[in-house]
Amino acid sequence: MSRRIAIVGGGLASLVAYATLRKGGLEPADIAVFGTDLDPAADFRRRAGAIRQRAMRSESDGHAAAASWPGLAVRSALRRRDPAPLVATLFDRYHPTVGEFLDHLAGVRERTAWDESFVRERIRRVRAVEGGFELDGHGVFPHVLLAPGHPGLERPAELAGDPRAVHAYEPHDYADRVTVVGAGMAAATEWLNALAAGSSVVSVRRREPERRPLNLPRPLFTRRGPASFHRTGVPQRVALLRSWSSPSYPCGRAWDEPLEDARRSGRFSVVPELNGAEQIICATGFHRGFRHDPLLAKLVADHGLETAEDWIVLAPDSTVPGLSDTERTLALAGVPGQWAFPAADTLAGAKYAARRFLQRVRRCPTR
Amino acid sequence: MSYTLRGRLESRLAAALAPLLAAAGLALVLREWWPFALAALMVGVGVVADLAYDRLVAYQPGWLALPLGAAELGLVMLAARATDVNASLVAALAFFVGSWLLAQVLGHAVFPLLRLTYGEDGGELGRLGVVSVTAVFVVVVGGGAIAWSTQPPTIRLEAGVYDGPLVLDHAQKLVGEPGTIVRGGIVVTADDVVVRDLTVVAEENGIEVDDAKNVVLERVEISGATLDGINVRRSSVRIRDCLIHSPADEYAQGIDISFSIHRAPSLVEGCVIVGGYEGIVTHSALVEIRENRVRDTSLRGIAITEMSMGTARENDVRNGLGVGIYCGDYSHCLIERNAVSGTRPDLASSNGTRMGYGILATFGAEATLRENQLTDNHRRTRAFADARIHRVD
Repeated sequence: MSRRIAIVGGGLASLVAYATLRKGGLEPADIAVFGTDLDPAADFRRRAGAIRQRAMRSESDGHAAAASWPGLAVRSALRRRDPAPLVATLFDRYHPTVGEFLDHLAGVRERTAWDESFVRERIRRVRAVEGGFELDGHGVFPHVLLAPGHPGLERPAELAGDPRAVHAYEPHDYADRVTVVGAGMAAATEWLNALAAGSSVVSVRRREPERRPLNLPRPLFTRRGPASFHRTGVPQRVALLRSWSSPSYPCGRAWDEPLEDARRSGRFSVVPELNGAEQIICATGFHRGFRHDPLLAKLVADHGLETAEDWIVLAPDSTVPGLSDTERTLALAGVPGQWAFPAADTLAGAKYAARRFLQRVRRCPTR
Repeated sequence: MSYTLRGRLESRLAAALAPLLAAAGLALVLREWWPFALAALMVGVGVVADLAYDRLVAYQPGWLALPLGAAELGLVMLAARATDVNASLVAALAFFVGSWLLAQVLGHAVFPLLRLTYGEDGGELGRLGVVSVTAVFVVVVGGGAIAWSTQPPTIRLEAGVYDGPLVLDHAQKLVGEPGTIVRGGIVVTADDVVVRDLTVVAEENGIEVDDAKNVVLERVEISGATLDGINVRRSSVRIRDCLIHSPADEYAQGIDISFSIHRAPSLVEGCVIVGGYEGIVTHSALVEIRENRVRDTSLRGIAITEMSMGTARENDVRNGLGVGIYCGDYSHCLIERNAVSGTRPDLASSNGTRMGYGILATFGAEATLRENQLTDNHRRTRAFADARIHRVD
């Protein structure tokens, strides 16, 4: 294979990276994208459909295109010939619908010729070799971006094998009495879904969710936040990442009023522990940590990479220290990249890793 | 966006580079320093504001650009006033708004396209930022040095009495200390002259300005004039905070600005004029007369006449004989938010237009009146001889 750049993973972070590389002047023939589903939006579509998500939590710049501008609000305003999205985005109130977002992803996929670079293979092992990285017999690539996505759905251990339990991101309907475990965005969406379906809802949570518009405080999405984050020592950084991983969902009447109405009529309650219920929806997100991802776990074991609890220690530009130099690059994007960028599991985080990966590729004399 | 301090400064200065160069070019074309001075003030205020924003605004939503821009506009206007930048208000506003809009377009659309990491780098522009900052520094420092080196000299008069008339026939600043008195008046015949903090004991005219532009008369006290306290011909002046009193002839006037319609507008602001024939009068001139106090005149308090175009705004005219504020002889006058009181009829005159009018328009003049307070005048307002008064209260 003559391609010199590999993206391992076929989801949104990979699409963002691919679009960024293409914007940086690389051709489809230069890049191989290894994934299991040709559609980079497949996982997102499935999960959003499962929780009946209608609008994105992200805002205008939560998109997969390489450049921040034009954002989704501008695109929507132009398409609808309506300035309302522009006004909304001035106040950080513009949230694209899931449909708009999926259309946008399809457009990026088409414009960037994603399909031309796609290789339907699951990469199970990445090994550093002379001149780059060997990918499971698919050749040696000087520059590799790993974007393996979330390593599977997280379920409470006590619900293993319980026929009443279903994960929020799996297809499901709502029984008359529903217990929702968790307190993040998916849980809040499920509370409202179940109430709208006529169910009574019990929210099981051990701590109160934080209320904030995005899943991390806004300054963490730019250098202003990570600059101080990068200056922290290992224990402090682990503590920060743990604190930022606490569940949260946005503020606003659209969330509060249905819950308050239901609480008053006795259809919504909060308890700390599970009890008898017809249906248990686990809105508990994903497994956390590189050990749950076989590819990353092998990478760490094979090369003795430095880790800190659940995280692989990365350089500030999301590359793996010791395996990246002037002639080769190994970078992590998506949720495994949190050591470099706390909001790595967002579109902004995917761009952070992708843009720095592009810079490394451009600087490399053997590109 | 959450800017870093460096990002704010680089974005600010990169966006300011084009307006700054345009201002420098305009200054060269007009042979006036105000466009460059205004642009440099804008940059200076912006940089200081950025230092404050960095501490106060961790995250800046889009809407916040508007109130912050308005606040910066106010600061730039104050700074322009404090540093005596001689810019027209409309031109200054247009320049600021244009620059602000350009900065918004660059910050929201162009910079993110030029530099993919612009947003997540907190507005930092990398090499482009360094080049922009350097370029702005070079232009401001270079232009400022040229401006400084070509500034007129400042001549300070120590306290004491000086025999006049002093003739100022080249650009200069003449500044007095408390207790500085010039007897016999001052004559200005050159552009870019500033006269400040002086007391003038006049013979005929207190200060005479002839065929000069960009002349500033500030905090001057004039007494004893037999013709005009300040006499301006074929010139554009800014007269601020003057005191004119004790005329030595019953026909002496306070300020007379005439035959200057071809010049930039003149300004009379914050002056006190007591006594005399006419307090402030213009003939064939572009003028703004605002926030003055005129007392005890024997012909008219404020007169805008002989095809002048002028504004009389927020003046306080009291105890005049005949007419308080006058718009005459095909002039166009905007007369708003003035207080005119105690205007008495000139019973010794057989002229019906002098019967104690608070505001009067005559001989084809067009006067627009808005929100004036007329109290205790013998008569309120009237138009004579094809003049028209438009009320927009």
